[in-house]
Amino acid sequence: MSSRQIIVENLKKRYEGDFYAVNDVSFLVNAGEIFGFLGPNGAGKSTTVTMLTTLALPTSGKAHVGGYDIVHQAQQVRRIAGVALQDIGLDPVMKSMELLVTQGQLFGMSRMDAIKRAKELLELVRLSEFTDRPVGKYSGGMRRRLDLAMALVHKPEILFLDEPTTGLDPASRRDVWAEVRRLNVQEGMTIFLTTQYLEEADELADRIAIINAGKIAVEGQPAELKAALGAESINVTFGDNPTVEKARDALQSMVDRAQIDRKTLRLYLQNAAYAIPNVVNKLNELQLQPLSLTLTQPTLDDVFLQVTGQRFEEETEDEAPVEAVA
Amino acid sequence: MTAMTKPITQTTPSVSEKAKSMPLWKQITMMTWRNLVVIRRTPASVIPGLMISVFFLFIYEASLSGAATFFLAGQSYLAFILPVSIISASLSGSGLAGQYIVRDIENGYFDKLLLTPISRIALLSGPVFAGAFMLAVQTALILGVAMLMGLESATGFAGILAVLGFGLLLGTGFAGFGVSVALLTGSAAATSGASFAFFPLTFLTATFVPINLLEGWLKTAAEWNPITYVLQATRSILLEGWNWEYIGQGLIACAILGVIPFVISLWALRQRTSRK
Ligand SMILES: Nc1ncnc2c1ncn2[C@@H]1O[C@H](COP(=O)(O)OP(=O)(O)OP(=O)(O)O)[C@@H](O)[C@H]1O
Ligand SMILES: [Mg+2]
Repeated sequence: MSSRQIIVENLKKRYEGDFYAVNDVSFLVNAGEIFGFLGPNGAGKSTTVTMLTTLALPTSGKAHVGGYDIVHQAQQVRRIAGVALQDIGLDPVMKSMELLVTQGQLFGMSRMDAIKRAKELLELVRLSEFTDRPVGKYSGGMRRRLDLAMALVHKPEILFLDEPTTGLDPASRRDVWAEVRRLNVQEGMTIFLTTQYLEEADELADRIAIINAGKIAVEGQPAELKAALGAESINVTFGDNPTVEKARDALQSMVDRAQIDRKTLRLYLQNAAYAIPNVVNKLNELQLQPLSLTLTQPTLDDVFLQVTGQRFEEETEDEAPVEAVA
Repeated sequence: MTAMTKPITQTTPSVSEKAKSMPLWKQITMMTWRNLVVIRRTPASVIPGLMISVFFLFIYEASLSGAATFFLAGQSYLAFILPVSIISASLSGSGLAGQYIVRDIENGYFDKLLLTPISRIALLSGPVFAGAFMLAVQTALILGVAMLMGLESATGFAGILAVLGFGLLLGTGFAGFGVSVALLTGSAAATSGASFAFFPLTFLTATFVPINLLEGWLKTAAEWNPITYVLQATRSILLEGWNWEYIGQGLIACAILGVIPFVISLWALRQRTSRK
């Protein structure tokens, strides 16, 4: 039994030139935890996964997976880690059974055991009926599920899933979630999961880290992070940018924090509902006409907005007209 | 953020985790088998090779047998030209192994295999052996057609098998070049290009007439070209009998053409699988 922990210290990965895809990242994943690794496109999620799973070498820094050094004990890391990469690597002309049995045998199972395990896993990912079809003819979701099964063949202690639900329909996504939870609870697997979906991290992860431009922006429990935002927010949308700014200048002093997101002003404060009349009065006084006014509970999306100054769904390159005012 | 204040303590993994793994020979067999299964499901990759070698045999035989046989002292031109056909099949067929590797690199399965405890040697020899098997099929087909066309061998059926052996040896040794290019570039275009790079070798030699009838620079090129000695060995087997001196020279030529690519391919494998 390995320690089932992932310990990452000052990990860096430099690509051509002076570009650091991962820039001094440190975090700890406890044994038996589901850890969500969140970030926008190009943040460095996959680069981190390829280093931790021994496909790439870090430029500097240290990491231990299950107690094994990813640089010097790569073979041991491969034994205890199961990996489903973002780019699914399955030979399209092979069939699910062949792939799973080959995988099992390479991990030292006898052919009979490998076949038994393959059947079990196909059942688990609901692909038992599709063993005759070459995987190249599978749908995207079926291929993802098979890839998950491939990662589980050798009963890993630590599972790395790089965007396991990207491209899945909502039903399949919930299946994967259920399976991830089951593996975590019943088999005690430590799970490191990257995702673009905040709701996924919110749903599954015991703890999350948000990575942005190669650096960890924030780390903690989802609830804790949301709470740190100061509970709820009042969102007031206006017709144009100057009006938003005017409203912010007027209302800033009344709330804990005001933030502009496009033409919406977000006002963060405790007991937001009680503050609505005051906000409305102030706007009336200044003759600023809002288009809409809503009240929301904080989401991880807000956490993300706060730590990166960006809305989550947007590409990093997008110039989002967002401006944080503390 | 995220100050890493916690002390880095970890339980050292127990030694009992000493993992089992598959014996090397089994890994090699399994990887070879896998590649053969892939070939069977994508026959388009080998059929052109098969067709072309048989086609050349027909053309050479039909167009040259009447004209240029004065040096043959009554022996058949078919037996004289057959080794050319076999050698060119070997050289073009030697690219197969590289193509199988590129395929796996492109579809990502290569990385998936790298994440298992697979031996690097099995990773390399699976495609090479599958390529060799295809080469044997291809060579046997050419020999079969030649026999239907009336091939007579001075050393009988054993000689025909020996010629097949030469074809295999040459093609398998040479496969190292395609494999190296595949591993270094990961590019299908570069890999199929590489197997053509040595195509001229089959012409800068005693292709259509014996070497003593060549002149000038072509003769010099032929003398330096290892293929010449493979041709000489296989021709002597089919036309004259067991000439051990020629056969020895032919084997040395195969070794030269095989060992160098093999060494390069081991280095290329290291390049590909060493983490960056
Ligand atoms: N082999 C490479 N050579 C050069 N740059 C690379 C390489 N791999 C990744 N990068 C760059 O590193 C950065 C991080 O990429 P990475 O794939 O880790 O992002 P990601 O967080 O996984 O994004 P996504 O959500 O799109 O999968 C990107 O800018 C990418 O272009
Ligand atoms: Mg990625």
